[in-house]
Amino acid sequence: MSTIASFGFWSFVGIVAGIYTLFALGIQVQFGFAGLLNFGQVAFMGIGAYTMAILVVKEDLNMWLAAGCGVVLAMLAALLLGLPTLRLRADYFAITTIAFSEILRYVATNEDRLTGGSQGTINLAGIGRASQYDGAWQSFLGKVERNLHVSSDAAMLILVWTVALLAVAMVFVLMRTPWGRVLKSIREDEDAAASLGKNVFLYKLQALALGAGLGAVAGVFYAWQFSFFSPDDFAPLITFFAWMIVILGGLGRAWTVPVGALVFGVIFAGTRFFDFPPFSLLDSTERAYVRLIVIGLVIIGLMLFRPQGIFGSRKEMVLE
Amino acid sequence: MTAILEVREVVRAFGGLRAVDDASLDVEAGSITALIGPNGAGKSTLFNVISGFLSAERGQVHFEGRRIDRSQPHRIARRGLVRTFQVPRTLTRMSVMDNIMVAATHHPGERLNGLAFRPSAARTRERGARERAVELLALFRLDGHAGEYAGVLSGGQRKLLDFARVLMAEPRLVLLDEPMAGVNPALGRQLIDHVLRLRTEAGMTFLFVEHDLDIVMESSDQVIVMNEGRVIASGDPQQVRGDQRVIDAYLGTAGPQ
Repeated sequence: MSTIASFGFWSFVGIVAGIYTLFALGIQVQFGFAGLLNFGQVAFMGIGAYTMAILVVKEDLNMWLAAGCGVVLAMLAALLLGLPTLRLRADYFAITTIAFSEILRYVATNEDRLTGGSQGTINLAGIGRASQYDGAWQSFLGKVERNLHVSSDAAMLILVWTVALLAVAMVFVLMRTPWGRVLKSIREDEDAAASLGKNVFLYKLQALALGAGLGAVAGVFYAWQFSFFSPDDFAPLITFFAWMIVILGGLGRAWTVPVGALVFGVIFAGTRFFDFPPFSLLDSTERAYVRLIVIGLVIIGLMLFRPQGIFGSRKEMVLE
Repeated sequence: MTAILEVREVVRAFGGLRAVDDASLDVEAGSITALIGPNGAGKSTLFNVISGFLSAERGQVHFEGRRIDRSQPHRIARRGLVRTFQVPRTLTRMSVMDNIMVAATHHPGERLNGLAFRPSAARTRERGARERAVELLALFRLDGHAGEYAGVLSGGQRKLLDFARVLMAEPRLVLLDEPMAGVNPALGRQLIDHVLRLRTEAGMTFLFVEHDLDIVMESSDQVIVMNEGRVIASGDPQQVRGDQRVIDAYLGTAGPQ
């Protein structure tokens, strides 16, 4: 049980929770505030990560610039996805978003000259070249470590959470503006919003793009944290983790996202310590799946006893 | 008198059913015009066509001389033609105040570039809108609920809220779809008084669908009667009341004779 007490392990959980905060905040903007059912959020994470890595390795671009390009490209992709699909009814839109993320994953798997293919970013510069995209990041992280006199894990934790909390604050403020008010009115009843002169389609596009940008920021941090990734890191399951986080924390509020992400992270990581019967009968790979079951049960329990999420408003939930 | 709204030979079918079948009508500027007819006459469908929520298969709609039958709902609303719905479209998980505020027109704070580059203009507009919203809430006696979720309001209060919200959008022509349905008589009386006052004071024009013929006859200047997708009669309440086609439409003819 030594890992339970180790800072390294829990800081890892914290870093992942921070990345997931950014990732799920995109879903909160899209669904919690604008009512958009986006089941393809992971695609934007992938676009952010791949764009950054490809530009750094192949074009030798400055990593900040490359990261910026990743975020911009993800937002443009959101516009491209939204233009033909956002006029569809909500459920049809949801289906196209899953298709979109799966198409991108298959493209990333098969366009190996661009992405390194199924073997992942190690092959970015060609097979056998063992390319790395995070050299500049590691040296930046090193500088942060030395200046703050903290460990590498702690430095990463601080950086991820600084960006994540700034993003949460930005969404929090944005949703209190008249712009956010229109977004919420569209979530409540898009016909009513249109009847009052609001361009529903335009607002949905903006919400989709903003959420995509947040997903891409998460993708860039994901890439930096793990130093290697492959198309399989962007499977649909990851999108549903974001949905779980948003539902766990509570819908329609910005600051419930980091809470949901932390709870999710702890449950997800915590199930590793299930080394008592009956879990001890399973090997570690099997136990990895047990955590998905546990998360599923927690969601079901939450829906039964606390449908508004941990910090959502029960009052809001029952209004019709 | 000039017509503020002209509907010309509009057709709208659902499958084989022609819900609106070659309907034409004029609404005079500054009038209170009632649109009546039995269930299934096509009144609500026509409302949806006029407000842009349904497209017309044939025919044209002109508002203040400009063609609007190819325009999207939000563009029509911005031109000053604003509607309510039969069932109030209350934004339940927003405050009563926000339900009204969201209808503010020409608000730079509703655009991201406005928020970024004209923050003081956005703040000024927001203040102005809030003052107007407070007025409207007081007018409809909803001021006691301003901070509550709109979802806690009763059916009648929701009707009032919808009406207040429409006024916030600064319309010149208001389309009211069954404003009295589900509203108690005292509240209905209030609504009519508001309509009459707004017509006189603000020069607004009203077109409303209503089933209560007593209200129609006493409060409207002009009555348009639809049946089976067509306009079968129009004129002042007295004329329409005596029209044989109208009586037949409501009571049914005696059948083949």
